[in-house]
Amino acid sequence: MLKVKLEIRAIYTIIVCLFAIFLILPLVVLFIRSFETSQGFTISNYLSILTNNDLMVSIWNSIKISSLTAVITTILAFLLSYTINFTRVTRPLKGAIQIGILIPMLLPTITYGFAIMYSFGNQGLLTKLFGRSFFEIYGFNGLLIGYCLYTLPPAFLLINNSFKYIDKKFIIVSKLMGDRTLRSFMNTIIRPLWGTLGGAFVLSFILSFTDFGIPASIGGSYSVVATQLYQVMLGSIPDFNNGAAIAVFMLIPAVFAVFLLQYLEKFNFHYDKLSEVELLQNRARDVVLGILSSSVLLSIFAIFAIMFVAPLVNSYPYDLTFTFKHFTDVFQSSDLVNVYKNSVIVALLTALFGTLTAFCAALLNVRTPIKGKEALDIFSMITNTVPGMVLGISYLLLFNNSSLKGTFAIIVLCTIIHYFTTPYLMAKNSLSKMNLSWEMTGELLGDSWFKTIRRVVIPNSFSTVLEMFSYYFMNAMVTISGIIFLVTATTSVVASKIKELQHFAKFNKVFVLSILIFFTNLFVKLLCDYFQKRRLKHN
Amino acid sequence: MLEMQNIGKKYDQKVVLENIDLEIKTGEIVSLLGPSGSGKTTLLNIILGLTQMDQGKIIFNGKDMSTVPMKKRGFNIVFQDYALFPHLNAYENIIYGLKNKKELVTKKELQEYIDFLGLNPHLNKKIGELSGGQKQRVALARTLVTKPEVLLLDEPLSALDGVIKESIKERIKSIAKEFDLTTIIVTHDPEEALTLSDKILIINQGNISQFGTPFEIINRPSNEFVKNFILKQLEIKRQNIYNLFSEKYA
Ligand SMILES: Nc1ncnc2c1ncn2[C@@H]1O[C@H](COP(=O)(O)OP(=O)(O)O)[C@@H](O)[C@H]1O
Ligand SMILES: [Mg+2]
Repeated sequence: MLKVKLEIRAIYTIIVCLFAIFLILPLVVLFIRSFETSQGFTISNYLSILTNNDLMVSIWNSIKISSLTAVITTILAFLLSYTINFTRVTRPLKGAIQIGILIPMLLPTITYGFAIMYSFGNQGLLTKLFGRSFFEIYGFNGLLIGYCLYTLPPAFLLINNSFKYIDKKFIIVSKLMGDRTLRSFMNTIIRPLWGTLGGAFVLSFILSFTDFGIPASIGGSYSVVATQLYQVMLGSIPDFNNGAAIAVFMLIPAVFAVFLLQYLEKFNFHYDKLSEVELLQNRARDVVLGILSSSVLLSIFAIFAIMFVAPLVNSYPYDLTFTFKHFTDVFQSSDLVNVYKNSVIVALLTALFGTLTAFCAALLNVRTPIKGKEALDIFSMITNTVPGMVLGISYLLLFNNSSLKGTFAIIVLCTIIHYFTTPYLMAKNSLSKMNLSWEMTGELLGDSWFKTIRRVVIPNSFSTVLEMFSYYFMNAMVTISGIIFLVTATTSVVASKIKELQHFAKFNKVFVLSILIFFTNLFVKLLCDYFQKRRLKHN
Repeated sequence: MLEMQNIGKKYDQKVVLENIDLEIKTGEIVSLLGPSGSGKTTLLNIILGLTQMDQGKIIFNGKDMSTVPMKKRGFNIVFQDYALFPHLNAYENIIYGLKNKKELVTKKELQEYIDFLGLNPHLNKKIGELSGGQKQRVALARTLVTKPEVLLLDEPLSALDGVIKESIKERIKSIAKEFDLTTIIVTHDPEEALTLSDKILIINQGNISQFGTPFEIINRPSNEFVKNFILKQLEIKRQNIYNLFSEKYA
């Protein structure tokens, strides 16, 4: 086995310190502050939550709407994945689903609300198209649509991935054994996916429960816990201690969810081996699912289409003459250009240092014998649990009086920690699949540890590193819940600026900025994909 | 009797099978033998009704099966990797099909199948706890209790080792005898094919190279491919074994 070298220990120490200071300590402070009152340490903050009627209503509202979102999203994500994996729907449609479904991921959630307003509102595109408005969009309905848009892509990625591990041969066995459609469906599709479907439900629930952007834009008078928390922290009468207690409250379902996910993992079963088997012909199945999936996809397109149209006309929906005015306005406003620059800088720094951190952590965990590497898994589990808003508030409480306040550094650090889990798991997965004797071989051939990592391990994980980079970049571009408490006038980023512009009803600027984020993310994603493809061809 | 008439199949312009013409008598064991990629699995899937052929006919006991869907043909298959349901135990897997058609076999018959395949001690085991040979027998039992008219086996022995292979081979033979069951087996191993079956269909690049009994193939190979590919392997094997033993007993 490889010996623990000095450099390994050094990296380990740096990473552990990073998480101690920027994850554990803030959470501890949050916890302490939640008990702090003018009369010393008591549980009165919690009692005041329980007796605060508005707050209890908002928590109950959040639970209701998040559950409903989770049910709808899980069903839709299942339908889309089923269409892609288990039907003979034409290939171009399958490709369109797989790409189109990712559109919402390229945008901040706060933009969803405005897109929904402009689509379903009284003057909305879809309302005009159909000649009537469908329902009141501010409040419950708008929130529900927004949450579904937001949670559908991750739920889809999760379920679609699991579908790849279902052995199609079982469907044939079940048919040959005389199963009727329902029994066959339950036994060969639902049963193997049970864990994943549960996982998608829990994931969607937590994402909706903790998102801030959607209720901030379209929540109306339907109060949810995220907006309440924001009010308490940054409203007219800020109360940090009470806010800390609410944040701890918000943590409870998240902690619960993580345990639930681990429990659900048991239900996933792993087939020994997969085999390619032809799907049976079934026209009815293909037609029905093809239509359903296309409708879902078209709805997504329809909702976001307005975002690209509105800023290109004089004054939507009254004066529809084409103009670049709104774009030039934004580009001439040094304020907005700066905000965009800030966003790109933050995203680049986050992607760079985040990828470095996650990669090193995974490397230590998987490929070195260092003592205490379990700590890294624990950090990843905690970052997976803590919602962005809770992390942001903890930072606000801990670093409010430090020199970190109002810097890009604190935003970058918060985002790195907030989104750590996924890139870390990506790296772990890829690194553990590589032959574990490479470092030893390198050493025998005269390399230092660093040299082997650079010459052998990194080139072989290039594709994963790119994936991690683009994950961090895109999320840093769109996140708002994590950083809303940390930005200042000089460090404002696009997502938080949009919140400000909303105040002045500058919706065209909101859309122009969103389009900028959209295309920046698209560009980075395509660039990473391109390099990945090129890499694959070389190998 | 199972007849195939002039069966052909293409995948995207590429011919995978052509001019497949043969007759299999009831109760016969027939092996489909050929190198990998020659079209054996495709032919098996066409017989099963899973893959559609581009031309030709399949006739079973005088009835044209060509357009009869898989479920209604009354044939059944054991896949190479068994495809046992991992959330059910061995017994639950065996009776899986009986849940749909209770009248198919009596309790006594079911027990006979289980005894015959030596599965009594393993009935309550999870699929993960079974060895390769045990899984194979559970899969066989699950398929046999549905009383198929034709039994199809895709590489039934390739995942098994040495001694177990021989014992499964014997079982397959005795099943075919005992139940007078037409059995079609895919394999790429000449030794397996020649020792297991009544007749062998040698396929090369989608065409029938030779169809005959083991005796005919050994003594009257009909072309160079059979000689070079099939017989050569057996001769090398024989030579190796001969060398081994003669050295030891020299
Ligand atoms: N679904 C499919 N699509 C395209 N080509 C296929 C498909 N299935 C099999 N083939 C091709 O048909 C040929 C025969 O395959 P197969 O019947 O699996 O051969 P064998 O079982 O003898 O190894 C191979 O060249 C294979 O690549
Ligand atoms: Mg095959």
